[in-house]
Amino acid sequence: MPSFFDSWLPFFYLYGIGGLFFVLGLVIIRRSGAIDMKKRKHRFWFRVLIGGFIYFALIHALGIIAALYW
Amino acid sequence: MEQINSNLESFHNIGTTTDWVVMVAYFIAVMLFGSYFGRYNRSTKDFFFGGRRFAWWLIAFSIVATGVGSHSFVKYSAMGFKNGFSSTMTYINDWFFVPFFLFGWLPIIVYTKIRSIPEYFERRFSPSARFLATILLLFYMIGYISIGFLTLGKAALPLLPESFSLFGMEFQVTLMGVIIFIAVITGIYITFGGQTAVIFTDLLQGAILLFAGFLLFFLGVAHLGGFDIFWDILPTEWKLPLANFNEPSSFNFVGIFWQDGVAGSVGFLFMNMGLIMRFMATKSVDEGRKAATFNILFMLPLSAIVVGNAGWIGKALSISNPAEVPPNTVPDEIFVVVANIVSSPGVFGFIMAALTAALMSTVDTLINATAAVYINDVHRPIEAFLKVDQSDLKKTDRSELVAARYSSIVITTLGVLGVLIFRDFPTVYEAHGYFHSTLTPPLVVAIFLGLFWKKFTPAAVITTFVGGVALMIAALHYPNLISPFDHGIEMNPERPYSYIRALYNLFVCVAVGVTVALSSRYLKDAAGRIRNSEYSRIIIYSIVSLSVLLFTLILFNLGNEPLLLFQALLLIVTVAVSSEYLVKYDEIAQTEGLTVWSVKKAKEFFKGGKINDREGEVIHVHWKLKEFDEDVLYFSKNDMAKMQAEVGDLVYICDKRKYLGGLKSVHSVFGEPHEEDGIVYMNEENRLNGQFIPGRVLTAEKEM
Repeated sequence: MPSFFDSWLPFFYLYGIGGLFFVLGLVIIRRSGAIDMKKRKHRFWFRVLIGGFIYFALIHALGIIAALYW
Repeated sequence: MEQINSNLESFHNIGTTTDWVVMVAYFIAVMLFGSYFGRYNRSTKDFFFGGRRFAWWLIAFSIVATGVGSHSFVKYSAMGFKNGFSSTMTYINDWFFVPFFLFGWLPIIVYTKIRSIPEYFERRFSPSARFLATILLLFYMIGYISIGFLTLGKAALPLLPESFSLFGMEFQVTLMGVIIFIAVITGIYITFGGQTAVIFTDLLQGAILLFAGFLLFFLGVAHLGGFDIFWDILPTEWKLPLANFNEPSSFNFVGIFWQDGVAGSVGFLFMNMGLIMRFMATKSVDEGRKAATFNILFMLPLSAIVVGNAGWIGKALSISNPAEVPPNTVPDEIFVVVANIVSSPGVFGFIMAALTAALMSTVDTLINATAAVYINDVHRPIEAFLKVDQSDLKKTDRSELVAARYSSIVITTLGVLGVLIFRDFPTVYEAHGYFHSTLTPPLVVAIFLGLFWKKFTPAAVITTFVGGVALMIAALHYPNLISPFDHGIEMNPERPYSYIRALYNLFVCVAVGVTVALSSRYLKDAAGRIRNSEYSRIIIYSIVSLSVLLFTLILFNLGNEPLLLFQALLLIVTVAVSSEYLVKYDEIAQTEGLTVWSVKKAKEFFKGGKINDREGEVIHVHWKLKEFDEDVLYFSKNDMAKMQAEVGDLVYICDKRKYLGGLKSVHSVFGEPHEEDGIVYMNEENRLNGQFIPGRVLTAEKEM
């Protein structure tokens, strides 16, 4: 069985540090008004951004689970 | 087969005559296809930007070839062969910076109508910041072209004989010889094609590329005996999607995260003029967002399989049948070796042609983009300095188009010469990683802080460029400076910290930029004192001369480590003070519409008036010609009401046929309405720009 350094540590680091950058980006574009949540189109884009983050985290998590247990 | 050193085996003469016929036919077809679209270049705007007219799907697919080419199949197959599925890492780590891009950088570059990244630096900071950004950007882009040529050469070499005879003379086939030959073909193509040609050839190639990549994967799996056998044969470590955290030094997760996931992703999205010009070629910011999102969410993960699978198949084959694929095959050749084994003659030629042509497209895109930077940031400023008469716009545009074509040739030559720097790395992947770690951080940090932080000043950006680079050079001389950031990665003395170097470089650039920006008050005091001195000119010239001297000392490392660090810190102070003294900066005017905090203002500047955000319909109209000079389109009152448009709003009209993806379209402004519903009046210039065909129905929509 691969070690924690091979399997889950990179995942947590990627979505931990990467997640910090991502959240910082969301905060800045919302606070600056660059994304205007009153607009329907912008609300759609905000959901796409959050969904994209989850989508990639799921791809990696499922990939690790498949490698370890399938 | 040849032993290139004590451990690795290299191949030559792979492929048959049928494969060569297929490859040559493919290349000719692609070049003819591209040349056909070259006729859509009516100005430098069209040559470089394709006229800001295309639909998102066309750009999204055209980016596939660029993305796959730049993160090429040669290096990812090599990494797949050495490390397994974790070769896909760099394709699936770009999302973190997408919010910054979609709602920060993209609207700013479109709405401010800048034609290159350095131009942004002039408007946001100063001409000197633009000058430094131009130098760094040209280094970055020419380096990228060099990596592209190196990859192309390594892909082609196994297909060729070790030597050939011509007129009775024996010629050795060398990597540099192959690269020069490829560069000549690439240079000819881009010189006569332009951006529209590149977009359309990339569109065609994007689709073929995905098909060829998956074809190879299915053929490979079938060759092994099915997916279950392929899956079970690979060791567990090879199936993990992320590499080991910090081992080995040549391929580890944390180094690659900072090198590619941070510096590379930001560099690719924010600095890669080739890619940015694609997004700027979309008809609107929202279409650009769709293109970028679709590409990152769907195309990049698929591309990761396309580019890496030959390596995975190669690994499985090297375990199941080492005689077929020796485990010590040169990693950069594994793609060609596997493609040849699993496919039949002709199919192999097709796969090679599709993937090599896509890589060529990437190089084309980059050459085109670098030429755009040259025209905008070198040619035009020089013409302005020399006070060349530019009153005749058409004549100026023609001369710039000629200059763009000549500069493409020079850039191609420099790209070939740049290969000499990278060719000694064991794999293209490591060469590219080292390149990203070293060249992207100063510009990445400068763009980011300039775009998202209003308090970031010209003194701060110039010091980031000079002082940050000085500290980066210090770490090139003394790699132990990087060790506090190494996350436990072992230092390879031959190529110290190829990837994690990016974290150190980013850190020093951010530290320099933020410190100088926060010290603005003290710097202003210092600059004021110098101004008030009767020896102000002597003092400032002395400080500038000292800065040049210090940078030279750091560059050539004339001293020891503590002295070098002292020189770098002193340089930061002298550059910050002299920039504060010399650069004129209006904090309000030079941030309005140029940072994420004033995107709405940027939109108003773009339109030239208040924004009309009411959502209207897309209508169908017939067009008629009328003689007038203004750049406007005349619609009926009812049609304008349907579009919720007012006189002076921006309008986009396009041939109704959706499969053209906006090729025949034009942007203009709503003029005074008439009474004929379903009719739009335009002048000859707009008809020519839109390439509209008589009798064809157009769609019209309000842009803003």
